[in-house]
Amino acid sequence: MREPLLVLDTIRKNFGAIEALKGITFSIGKGEVVALLGDNGAGKSTLVKIISGGLQPSSGRMLFEGEEFQAKTPAEAKDAGIETVYQDLSLCTNVDVVANFFMGREITRKILGVPFLDEKAMETVVQKALANAGTRIPSLRTKVEHLSGGQRQAIELNRFVHWGGKLVLLDEPFAALGVEQTRRGLDMIRQVADQGIGVVIITHIMQQAFQVADRIVVIRQGVVAGDVERSKTSPDAVIEMITGQNLAGAGPAGQ
Amino acid sequence: MTPRTRKTLEFILDNLVWFMLLFVLIVFSALIPNYFQLGIFANIIEASSVLGVMSIGLSLVIIAGHMDLSVESVAALSAMAVGVLFCSAGIGLGIKLSPEWLMVPVSLMVALAVGGLIGLFNGFLIVKLKMNAFIITLASYIWVRGVVLAVSGGRSAQDLAPAIRWFAIQRLLGIPLTAWIAILCFVAFSVMMAKTRFGRHLMMIGGNETATFRAGIRVTRNLIIAFVLAGAIAGLSGWLLAIRTSGATANLGVGLLFNAFAAVVIGGVSLKGGIGALPGVYAGVLLLSSINTAINLMGLPANFTQVIHGFLVLAAVLLDTFKQRLRQRLA
Repeated sequence: MREPLLVLDTIRKNFGAIEALKGITFSIGKGEVVALLGDNGAGKSTLVKIISGGLQPSSGRMLFEGEEFQAKTPAEAKDAGIETVYQDLSLCTNVDVVANFFMGREITRKILGVPFLDEKAMETVVQKALANAGTRIPSLRTKVEHLSGGQRQAIELNRFVHWGGKLVLLDEPFAALGVEQTRRGLDMIRQVADQGIGVVIITHIMQQAFQVADRIVVIRQGVVAGDVERSKTSPDAVIEMITGQNLAGAGPAGQ
Repeated sequence: MTPRTRKTLEFILDNLVWFMLLFVLIVFSALIPNYFQLGIFANIIEASSVLGVMSIGLSLVIIAGHMDLSVESVAALSAMAVGVLFCSAGIGLGIKLSPEWLMVPVSLMVALAVGGLIGLFNGFLIVKLKMNAFIITLASYIWVRGVVLAVSGGRSAQDLAPAIRWFAIQRLLGIPLTAWIAILCFVAFSVMMAKTRFGRHLMMIGGNETATFRAGIRVTRNLIIAFVLAGAIAGLSGWLLAIRTSGATANLGVGLLFNAFAAVVIGGVSLKGGIGALPGVYAGVLLLSSINTAINLMGLPANFTQVIHGFLVLAAVLLDTFKQRLRQRLA
């Protein structure tokens, strides 16, 4: 098995009396793509928010690169090297593409000791990053509100590819993308993983999961209902795990 | 539509308030006798300094997606604090410092500190305890004015120390220093909003707070700073107000809040947050001031001013809607 990057150990989360997560245990290896599947309300998004620092678990612990880890804010998770792409897009539509790409990481240049935004340097970086990914946006200075849903999602995806980090969490990243863009997005994920970055992708589309993932983890009613290597399972078996008809093939992979 | 005409159109839309200002000045100059004079224009700039400075603070908070109704009362309290300390008549204590110029920084510090503290109080309640900005600052609007009344006992302070008054009397290029202070503030804060990380972050917080939080921007800290700045800037406008009137009365600056709102909205700042720039707000302030001057020159009763301001705000909001429609068609 690969060297583990993030280990989740009996993560629980209560919202009042409702137990959204009832003890989630699994791990993500370096350079591994894990597809997180499950029905609506199974707790996938909650889990992603806990890893990325948006929510705190009620109990349980996480090990990131072998050390106890618990992000209290998204900023802390980011500092540790965890990037997240959310299903409801995290773009500020009132500013331009460059500003969104560099949100929270703006390049500055000191003039008389005062740090001012270095727009030129930022624009060059964005231009290069988007060109590499084959994304075409007419002007990087247009406000994002004037861009289409697909273009917006492309910006988000390029942003995570560019900033990389150590672990990337993608919460239904292709919801608004066309066929060609989705294919390119899946390629991007592979590229990122090949650099040794761990990737967790939440999706509803079985085909995508089988196309890109090394391992498939199924969550059902707040527990891990299945954790299998892609090569050792089939879409039908996974669907059964999601709906809970059969637990055959469940249990940690590679054991 | 060619890219060129599109660019021109966008440029006009972005700077619409400046064209309006120019248009209004030309019309008034043509129609109102004695309007076209350098003295009148200097007067327009001078008369807009207090309102202008106050509008800066208000704009910062509104651009960040919040609201500050307390700026008017904060300005009044700062003016009263300066008045009580450094006026020699009325309720003024007439404190003298030597050398005399020392009174300038000290009085300025007092005004900024009073404003900044109230801003901090507002910001803490609104951002940390997540209370509604409208209600919290409405409460501050009321209680701070109450403090002004209580401190002054309804009386006034007159005869501000000459060393401080100097700023209203001394002129540079025909414009008093108080107005230059306002212009300087507009330049400094415009640069801050457009060219620094803090300004960029405020803008983005106003656009999508969740996104900025997820991106690791320290939203809470930035917003509290914005409220403190709004308070301190209101304090500065109070300092200017005390200088202009050479003292402070209990009802100093009443009604300024609504003028500031009018200027901010006319200047192109959207009340929903995330949209607008400070140079436009200055144009908005100048526009209001030119209209006031026109009303004075035409000898209309001053009571009409408020009616006209009200309709101006309405017109500004209509214009804003119209602009957004047009932009959508451009995109």
